[in-house]
Amino acid sequence: MKKCLFTLALLMLVSYNATAQKVEFKEFDLDNGLHVIMHQDNTAPLVVTSVMYDVGGKDGDRERTGFAHFFEHLLFEGSENIERGEFMKIIPANGGRFNANTSQDRTYYYEIFPSNKLELGLWLESERMLHPVIDQVGVDTQNEVVKEEKRQSYENRPYGGLLKAIGENLFKVHPYKDENIGKMEHLDAATLEEFNAYFEKYYVPNNAVLIVAGDIDYDKTEKMVRDYFSAVKKGPEVVRNFPKETPITETIKATAYDKNIQVPAIVAAYRLPGQATRDAHVLDMIATYLSGGKSSVLYKKLIDEQKQALTVQAVNLGQVDYNVFALFALPLGDVSLETLLAEMDEEIVKLQNELISERDYQKLQNQFENQFVNSNSSVEGIASSLATYYLLYGDVDIINNQLETYRSITREEIQAAAKKYLSPNQRVEIEYLPTKDEQ
Amino acid sequence: MKILYKMKTKLTAFLALLLITFSANAQIDRSTMPVAGPEPEISIEKPQEFQLKNGLKVLVVENHKLPRVSYSLRIDNKPIATADKAGVESLIGSMLGNGTTEISKDEFNEEIDFLGASLNFGFSGGFASSLSKYSDRILELMAGAAINPLLTKEEFEKEKTILLENIKSNEKNPDVIAGRVGSALSYGTKHPYGEFTTKETVENVTYGDAVSFYEKYFNPDNAYLVVIGDVDFKTVKKQIEKHFGDWTKSVGVNTSVPEPNENVQYTQINFVDVPDATQSNLSITNNVDLKMNDKDYHAALITNNILGGGGEGYLFKNLREDKGYTYGAYSSLGTDRYGASRFNASAKVRNAVTDSAVVEALKEINRIKTEPVDPQTLSDAKAKYIGNFVMALERPETIANYALNIKINDLPEDFYSTYLQKIKDVSVEDVQRVANKHLKTDNARIVVVGNGDEVLENLEKTGIPIKYYDKYAAPTEKPNYEIEMSADIDVAKVLNAYIEKIGGKEKLSNVTSVNIMAEAELQPGMMMNLEMKKTNKNQFSQEVTAMGQSVMKTVIDGESGYVVMQGQKSDMSEDDLKKSSAETSPFPEVNYLNGGATLEKIEDVDGEKAYKVNVGNDTSIYYSVDTGLKIKEVKTTPMGSQSTFYTDYKEVAGIMFPFKISQTVGPRKFDFMVKEVKVNEGVTDADFD
Repeated sequence: MKKCLFTLALLMLVSYNATAQKVEFKEFDLDNGLHVIMHQDNTAPLVVTSVMYDVGGKDGDRERTGFAHFFEHLLFEGSENIERGEFMKIIPANGGRFNANTSQDRTYYYEIFPSNKLELGLWLESERMLHPVIDQVGVDTQNEVVKEEKRQSYENRPYGGLLKAIGENLFKVHPYKDENIGKMEHLDAATLEEFNAYFEKYYVPNNAVLIVAGDIDYDKTEKMVRDYFSAVKKGPEVVRNFPKETPITETIKATAYDKNIQVPAIVAAYRLPGQATRDAHVLDMIATYLSGGKSSVLYKKLIDEQKQALTVQAVNLGQVDYNVFALFALPLGDVSLETLLAEMDEEIVKLQNELISERDYQKLQNQFENQFVNSNSSVEGIASSLATYYLLYGDVDIINNQLETYRSITREEIQAAAKKYLSPNQRVEIEYLPTKDEQ
Repeated sequence: MKILYKMKTKLTAFLALLLITFSANAQIDRSTMPVAGPEPEISIEKPQEFQLKNGLKVLVVENHKLPRVSYSLRIDNKPIATADKAGVESLIGSMLGNGTTEISKDEFNEEIDFLGASLNFGFSGGFASSLSKYSDRILELMAGAAINPLLTKEEFEKEKTILLENIKSNEKNPDVIAGRVGSALSYGTKHPYGEFTTKETVENVTYGDAVSFYEKYFNPDNAYLVVIGDVDFKTVKKQIEKHFGDWTKSVGVNTSVPEPNENVQYTQINFVDVPDATQSNLSITNNVDLKMNDKDYHAALITNNILGGGGEGYLFKNLREDKGYTYGAYSSLGTDRYGASRFNASAKVRNAVTDSAVVEALKEINRIKTEPVDPQTLSDAKAKYIGNFVMALERPETIANYALNIKINDLPEDFYSTYLQKIKDVSVEDVQRVANKHLKTDNARIVVVGNGDEVLENLEKTGIPIKYYDKYAAPTEKPNYEIEMSADIDVAKVLNAYIEKIGGKEKLSNVTSVNIMAEAELQPGMMMNLEMKKTNKNQFSQEVTAMGQSVMKTVIDGESGYVVMQGQKSDMSEDDLKKSSAETSPFPEVNYLNGGATLEKIEDVDGEKAYKVNVGNDTSIYYSVDTGLKIKEVKTTPMGSQSTFYTDYKEVAGIMFPFKISQTVGPRKFDFMVKEVKVNEGVTDADFD
């Protein structure tokens, strides 16, 4: 026992001299404005080709929500040179994998191949950017697919309406107020002309970044990229001018219902500065301090010791314009939602009034370092990070220096951020309840 | 669109690449898919090695890409037969990694958490990973857990309870039965790969057995420690010498691995009867002697991939896509350095198509033996294989496995660097040759685990000889589904005998309401409660709750009824109500006397003879011939059938009620223990709103 404590004390003295290794990369621009980032890593013979488009759920006409996600489906339909349905067959037949995803801020497509199929990956992505087939058959097919996805992932999934409830209560004017997947009546009403216009506006090379990462040769890759992507025409610059939200100064109380649940949930959501800011990083640490892992403050208190909650989470959802910081808990047995919120608030108040302990601070640092190291452990992860930091943070170097940011955050800053942002009068409190029989 | 891409020779592909490189303004032809470059050569890091005096062999792969390290310890014992104490290895495995003689379990786990590290153990080794700055400490913790583990009686008992619970919940699981019987028949029950763990063998294991298993087998003599990551060889060598140097050699374990059973003389069905099964578990299998260092190894991988490697395989395409017999059909062709592995083609199929599925699966296996594979299919299979192989290389575990495989399987040093080339070299002829060598359609066991009553008649028609086994692979007789029934028995007699037995018509007619409360253990420590209320006014309510939350509720009040599932309420259709109407009464048998029930036959229910009475189109009720009591009820729905067993009858208010109600849900069985039965109290009309 004594021996063990002694070892722990030693551990805390370990200095920060071990630095994470650097992710090297090279960048260039095509004349059409396409930004290209290459990352060479020849340790394994695989290559990732990916494109992130600066278009997400927040973009476009508010009477046509859900277009960004819809396009993520539509652009697998085919191209002038790839027949309908072939996109998804070519990839596995060549030993590859693929996927795509959409957020409020961006749309991301990627495939991973053995490195001798690099050209194939570039061909596929350039076909998608240059001349995808956008026709009524594809629109009708994907309309059904997206509706099914919405039913499965949102409408019939317990707590599937949470993000919607948070969005519509936390945002009044900014397009983050609308669901990312959109309203189905908007998609139903959309015409082919509108889809084509959307493509021409947002799917332009100057509104995207191409990543080629893995077992590549820089010169040959650059040459190939130029060959395949130069044919794409530059488009007008995308200008965004979203309305700004005014700060919340009085608690907003809201109620939402979900027919798929038995256990109600309590949510307290705060609107915060966007993900690239230093404060957003501080809030990341607060979220992890509160609920990251079984020895975290809220988990230990509400689940282990007091047995008041089935689950508890603090999340800092990163977005470009505003982050959403949310406390979320499901009560166990007869515990009321008010009690749960009060119990969580008690820990926030502690954060506001006292510094967290040195040991907890060190543990946080360990957790963030682990997370940082592992986020760069696969070429797939690196490709996605390069695209994200370039497009959404405006600084690719974050891939190497983000950990420095976390390390430089002090216990005092954690306390200050908790004070500045996490007071009850700055938030939306949502009681998320089971739909009653008559509703 | 046809897939235009064809495997070009290395030379042309290389020339094409040169052309692109040297012509500054290459006109690309984007109308066709680009041709692939030459297959990448795999460069796999060569580990540095050393050995401790106690025998521990250490492989170190320095990889400074990321500041992290992983340690993987493997005790490379020969397969161990544990006979009547089977399960001891799994028990000791779960006990390891929970502290050391110097650090308590809680402190141990807390520290790993604090470091952001991870550490896991099993009976044949362990795995730990952390940031490299904590590499020494996590290594020390790992060594402590391996050399001086905290092995408490308390932990042993806890793990034993979990294991027994696991065995119990899998008792009737056809997949588990099929796996056990398949291995036992193929290898023989004396062979380490053929023996199996049962309730009895686990109960035989004492705390002392577990500890001595650890002492006997968890030793450095045959152990490997693979270190991967951001370490310096010299430093980590010193650390390993320091932390693992004290690990003492064992007295020397010298077990020999017995020969597995011979393949059968002729292809035969080995049938295991699982009454009530709605699916048959099929496995066509024969033993093979295939080792990773055989020259056919790569061809064997590709051959199996083409036959049953996934959604493109012959088996899948026929049994699922073409015939719709099953959700999936796959095959495997195992390798083993002790010469005991199997070819196995398997699928789970609907009862009605069991015989056809056997015939079609055999047809596909014969097809790969007799028909040359289509070159495009071969090339797609290779591409998929190559892709998977290449992508796996990125993970450090893969590299560790490769380094270790080379050692323990006695493989050439360039085994993995030439791997892709060897996959590429597999020819159409190779596939056919290897299929003929290893897939023994004339000497195969076709292990079928299923509902004999429904599938045997048709299986017999295939003309393939059938042998019968019980759930533990012991030969047995063909199950007898035809038990003679005397001519003077009829449905009224069966129902009246039951009514008489539980209390008699008069007593039953005085019952206005029944309220039954029961509970079942969903998993250790997690209870599920059931409350059922019935009245003589055609009212019925049943609610299942788990952890204080309602899971399912059914309410019927005369003409109307509804079901609430996961918060969603739906009204019952007239059809459903009609079907339930007979059952809403406290003792439905009284209603059945008025018609609607027929006596079919006598059947065997878990060794007890019972009259099978059919009610409506979808319900069968079994009444014991001996006692007259209702012992089982089976309901068939489009989703499958559900069986309920009634046992442990006890008297309440002069009437006998079952105090144990067991329900099968899929492969699992839940035992509801009745806590309380109330007659004519505790039920009001409001319960059926």
